[in-house]
Amino acid sequence: MADGGQGPAPAPVGPSPVGPLVVACLDPADLRQEVDPLTGEVRADWRRADLSASDGAALEHSLRAAEAWGGTVLALAAGPPGLDPVLEQAVALGARALRVPWSDAHSGPAVDAVALAAALAAAISQAGPPALVVCGDRSPSRGIGAVPALIAHHLGAEQALGLVSLTVDQSSQVVIAERRLDGGWRERLRVRAPAVCSVEAAGVRLRRAPFAAALRSSGQPIPVAASQSGVASTGAQLRIGGPRPYRPRTKAVAPPMGGTHDRLLALTGVLVAHDPPRIVGPLGPVEAAGELLDFLDGHGYSPPSGPAQ
Amino acid sequence: MADTPSPDSFDAIVVGAGPAGSAAALALARAGRSVVIIERGPFPGSKNVYGGVVYARVLDDVIPNWWEQVPVQRWVVRRSTMVMTGSQAVTVDVRTQAWGRPPYNGMTVYRADFDSWLADQAVAAGASLVTSTVATGLVRDGTGRVTGVRTDRPGGDLASRVVIACDGVNSFLAKEAGLLPKADAAHHTLGVKEVLALPAEVIEDRFGLAPGEGLDIEMIGCTRGIPGGGFLYTNRDTVNVGVVVSLTGLAASGVRPEELIADLKEHPAVAPWLRGAAVKEYGAHLIPEGGYDAMPALAADGFLVAGDAAGMTLAAGLWLEGVNFAIGAGLAAGRAAAAAIAQGDVTAAGLAGYRKALEANFVLQDHKRLRGAPQLVLSDRMQRQYVQLICDLAEQVFTVTNPEPKPGLVKLLLRGARRHKVRVRDLVRDGIETAKVFR
Ligand SMILES: Cc1cc2nc3c(=O)[nH]c(=O)nc-3n(C[C@H](O)[C@H](O)[C@H](O)COP(=O)(O)OP(=O)(O)OC[C@H]3O[C@@H](n4cnc5c(N)ncnc54)[C@H](O)[C@@H]3O)c2cc1C
Repeated sequence: MADGGQGPAPAPVGPSPVGPLVVACLDPADLRQEVDPLTGEVRADWRRADLSASDGAALEHSLRAAEAWGGTVLALAAGPPGLDPVLEQAVALGARALRVPWSDAHSGPAVDAVALAAALAAAISQAGPPALVVCGDRSPSRGIGAVPALIAHHLGAEQALGLVSLTVDQSSQVVIAERRLDGGWRERLRVRAPAVCSVEAAGVRLRRAPFAAALRSSGQPIPVAASQSGVASTGAQLRIGGPRPYRPRTKAVAPPMGGTHDRLLALTGVLVAHDPPRIVGPLGPVEAAGELLDFLDGHGYSPPSGPAQ
Repeated sequence: MADTPSPDSFDAIVVGAGPAGSAAALALARAGRSVVIIERGPFPGSKNVYGGVVYARVLDDVIPNWWEQVPVQRWVVRRSTMVMTGSQAVTVDVRTQAWGRPPYNGMTVYRADFDSWLADQAVAAGASLVTSTVATGLVRDGTGRVTGVRTDRPGGDLASRVVIACDGVNSFLAKEAGLLPKADAAHHTLGVKEVLALPAEVIEDRFGLAPGEGLDIEMIGCTRGIPGGGFLYTNRDTVNVGVVVSLTGLAASGVRPEELIADLKEHPAVAPWLRGAAVKEYGAHLIPEGGYDAMPALAADGFLVAGDAAGMTLAAGLWLEGVNFAIGAGLAAGRAAAAAIAQGDVTAAGLAGYRKALEANFVLQDHKRLRGAPQLVLSDRMQRQYVQLICDLAEQVFTVTNPEPKPGLVKLLLRGARRHKVRVRDLVRDGIETAKVFR
């Protein structure tokens, strides 16, 4: 639930805004939470809060997009003051930072994603119209991954979620995004700003802040967004029950047939004809690939015909 | 308050936000000097492993009534020393309620809490703290004088008038400065410990403690003959159990350190205390146990070394104290650096006030007085033969074998000495030596 004070929105800390606004929507969390093996209680230590790999990628993509567009990055996170040191890291990388006070932001799947997304979207709108909002695609606090789509809904923005790569067109406000599809395929999307994208931890690594910037940002107070009067909690969409012992579902298994000897033969397959192993090498790369494809073909694994990759 | 530091030049750079580093930065900041602490962990104490008890009276003059704000787990009111074999244990137990009142004596604390708290004191006094940053080397001028440190961040070469290495045991900076040998296994022990969860009331029931009170047990004879010892400390709702063993002895034995903890937890004198406890954490760390004779030179031009980086843990059998020695040394280093900067002479000669201060206080006085202790305590006779002798003697003194009359103590002692191949001559010599070392 929102716990911030009322009143005008404070300015985010960091450099003054210029150019298009790129928002890195982050979910800092204790990446080594302890789970009580008996009660299932999850204990987090805020001093260990950090960005997950996909949130790191989100921030890095935001910085690159802002560089390409000559814009500003706003690092935004919802949660208690304990996550301010993580936002300080973003400030050290040249972003502005703002925290939305939110006490159940880390309640895992039980978080009220609709209200949280509304609060984040309101904070984004207060900071200015965003050209791009980038989130990590996976929440370290075990959320259900609905927040980016809900933010897009609130902002009336296009959305492209679960991306493996994200580049921006310098001349136009278009984002070129790539996403995995089943069967090893990928699709490339041209997404028009304003857009909300969520990225996998793939292809990029968050840069390190220079020492002087880390020193300047250390201990800097992070402004807190004003509480959103229009944002009311509707309660979690998912109800979490108490922990119970694991009981696998019963599965009907046919009773064993035949005597012990027959069953052993059937299990081991010793008397069933099969292709003996062949030594095919050493081969050059082309021949080796050919051999592998022939083998897969011969065993019914040939890829379905589809568009070229 | 200290001046706001310029981004890449400081009066002093302190490497490591452990107890030594934070104390050094606190002293420098209080003297009005610009100082930055560089810590590789995400927050002070996040990387630090130790046994569990801090003796913080060294802070009396620096942080008045420190006990009102320190993040304590329990105040230690019971201290036991246990001599044990696989199936026997002889315990000397000291309990005093005086240790449970201000100004207190020892306390159990988590290092993540304590180190963060001490670093906060330095920051409140005006020091800067930059975390998640590794000091990767020293920067020197043409004369070899240390003029700063190199870090792993972009633009991370920093200049300062003095660098204080508080980077803990096996200090790479002290090695680079030529003060420590590259490798020195003989003067190091390995500490391994488990943190086991138990409800606070269970801890209080099992160890005879009131809420807030704690127990510290030091053990000898629980390391399969590898020179070393064991410990057990009570936190609020966890218990630390571990062993500290000679590095060379451990390597020669081929035993895995976790086997030693498993042995200790199964010992008949220990197992009932830990019944039902769940392992929360496992950690291992080196300890510099060489004592006074293995300590390096403490200063070079533009450079000081303090705490474990200078081998200042006091490991003398009855005592395993490092945090208080690190704080004492850090405070002295910070004050000496501030004085040298004020004098405009940060050469080794200008920084000599540091060693003088340590010689005048407990840090070097205790180390000097107990310089023979590490060798004596880790000696084979002390670790194996005397442990068995003491346990057997105690067992036989209290074994009633009527209708036979009680045997005399001397007779029992001599019989035990024969059984464990202890020569009376050695016994007497070691007795005198012990008296000399601990006089
Ligand atoms: C198993 C065990 C049990 C112990 N039990 C006790 C006990 O009960 N009581 C007691 O008083 N003492 C105990 N000690 C000793 C005590 O832990 C040390 O003496 C004490 O921590 C020394 O403090 P320090 O500040 O010198 O070093 P440390 O506490 O080791 O701090 C060094 C700091 O420097 C940082 N660092 C290191 N290298 C770099 C770098 N290159 N760049 C940036 N930062 C760096 C580290 O992350 C760390 O924070 C024990 C030690 C061990 C291992």
